[in-house]
Amino acid sequence: MDAGVTPDAGASRAFRAPLARPRLCVLGGVCAALARHLNMSVAVVRIIFVGLAFAGGAGLLLYVWFWALVPLEGQGGASAAGAGAAAGAGAAPSAVRRRINVPWLLFAVAVALAIAAFVDGAFGGGSLFIVTVVMLACAAGSVAWDQLVEAGDGTVPSGWARAPLVAGAVAGAGARGGSRSIRVAAGGLLVAVAVLEPVAWAHVDAWLAWPLFTLTVLVAAVVLFGPWALHLWQQLMTERTARVREEQRAEIAAHLHDSVLQTLALIQNRAGASSEVSRIARAQERELREWLYAGADPLETDLATELKDFGAALELDHAVRIEVVAVGEPSERGTGELAAAAREAMLNAARHAGGDVSVYIETTADAVDVFVRDRGPGFDPETVPQGRLGVRESIMGRMRRAGGSARVVPGAGGVGTEVRLHLDRRDADEGEQP
Amino acid sequence: MTQEPEPGVQGAATGIRVVIVDDHSIFRSGLRNDLDSTLEVVGEAANVDAAADAIASLKPDVVLLDVHLPGGSGGGGAEVIRRSQAASPATRYLALSVSDSAEDVVGVIRAGARGYITKASSGSEVSRAVAAVADGDAVFSPRLAGFVLDAFGAASGEQAEANDELDRLSAREREVMRLIARGYAYKEVAAELFISIKTVETHVSSVLRKLQLSSRHELTAWALERRLL
Repeated sequence: MDAGVTPDAGASRAFRAPLARPRLCVLGGVCAALARHLNMSVAVVRIIFVGLAFAGGAGLLLYVWFWALVPLEGQGGASAAGAGAAAGAGAAPSAVRRRINVPWLLFAVAVALAIAAFVDGAFGGGSLFIVTVVMLACAAGSVAWDQLVEAGDGTVPSGWARAPLVAGAVAGAGARGGSRSIRVAAGGLLVAVAVLEPVAWAHVDAWLAWPLFTLTVLVAAVVLFGPWALHLWQQLMTERTARVREEQRAEIAAHLHDSVLQTLALIQNRAGASSEVSRIARAQERELREWLYAGADPLETDLATELKDFGAALELDHAVRIEVVAVGEPSERGTGELAAAAREAMLNAARHAGGDVSVYIETTADAVDVFVRDRGPGFDPETVPQGRLGVRESIMGRMRRAGGSARVVPGAGGVGTEVRLHLDRRDADEGEQP
Repeated sequence: MTQEPEPGVQGAATGIRVVIVDDHSIFRSGLRNDLDSTLEVVGEAANVDAAADAIASLKPDVVLLDVHLPGGSGGGGAEVIRRSQAASPATRYLALSVSDSAEDVVGVIRAGARGYITKASSGSEVSRAVAAVADGDAVFSPRLAGFVLDAFGAASGEQAEANDELDRLSAREREVMRLIARGYAYKEVAAELFISIKTVETHVSSVLRKLQLSSRHELTAWALERRLL
């Protein structure tokens, strides 16, 4: 019957599978879990539960109790030891799959009961009250299940796995659109009932008919608008949490700003620009600053962010202070050829020059320029031996291939070196398309 | 009040009289030791009220001013400048901050500071900046230059038509700002553009004036929404 039913009985009799509900289940997975745990047939367990259910509903209560307390497979303390047998269950994070579509099953019951209620009302039967209330409960329950249980479990309504026994009720429901259609269907049913009630129950005692009518209208309203209100409420809560966190973060930032950042600046100042202590303090400062001021992480780093990160990393390894200034709306990606060439230039500056290095990124409407300027001993590309590929290949060749240009010139006043990278933006866009 | 006017530290009579305003005593004493001997530190203050009093009574040439300060009505360095302008109109201010946030920097510049440098600058860099400010020049760090370029829309090709236009940079000012953002010293900017250092200083001062007077909405909007980094 169930993939999770056949336990590894043959393996060892002493071994007892952990008590955990399989993720591929009929309703709650309780029977399957117990059957596996007790090494019994799942059919026997089900019969016992059904039998107990007739004993004053004990079976139902027990089922609900187990459902609430037994963990899902791969969740909490339950190890996945027994999961090997449950082929469909897979690893821990997979969603719960039910073989029957509970919301639509409840809806079908509600439809049947609604018909019964009208028949009952037309012929003046005595069980009208109980039938109507159960009908309302089923209709509301179908939506509640859909909104609360399935959403909570991360259930994937498995269209393919629906057993034929509930075919009538579940036939048409789509996988994800089901959530909306169950709401509309249940709401529509209740509204129809509310409209038809006064007509159909002409013979029913008004003391019974009117409360039922009111109750029907109320439940219809809840079914139709409840999920919407619930959604709004959840959204409000999420926003509130986010705001509180943002405020807290700002407070922490203000405090750290006045204490730790000042101290780090002081350490750098006192320790001298290129000392080990100063470098570590500077790296710490950057890290802290980033954490304090960075909002949500950008999905893909742009050129400026990438070069700032790279500069911070270089400062850790080399006696260098790198200041990155970016101007204009960042457009270039941090993974492009331009970024690679700029990184190479920065690495060269850190390795061969040290001291203060200025990196300037300018993004205009039609081009991106990167300047890397150091104050080292200077450097002439003509005198670099052939074997040294750093500048020739990694910077100039790379920029040429990307459709841009690179120039290595002596810094202003003959001090140090400046690498100028230029890339036209239109070319860049085309060049980066795969 | 934590400030105590230092009676005559060996500075020469011609030295630039400096007041250091910072709420960290270690930083104040560190900076005092690092400054050149041409600078005479005549006083220190640790909060807004003490700073305003010290500036009013000492009338220093230059105030080294931390952007974030306790006390007063919470306005920090900008508040110190506003409160002291009447009492000591000749005093010039150099903002000194660990802060990278644009609102802080622009706030203190618009209040009247003549420049902005980071606290990680070395003693000799600070001394040079103080001397420049005392001479009436503006001191721009590469980062501040980058911010100016962004805030005035220079990167998107906006350019002033007339010299007295406050909301945009002229072509020359833009060139100067670009070079400063690239890490060039004034002297190097002058050599690169074939102009005199004096002209560079004029351009920078003019940019500073625009930064202080412009009503360009991006200055504040941009500063609020992004961090100068």
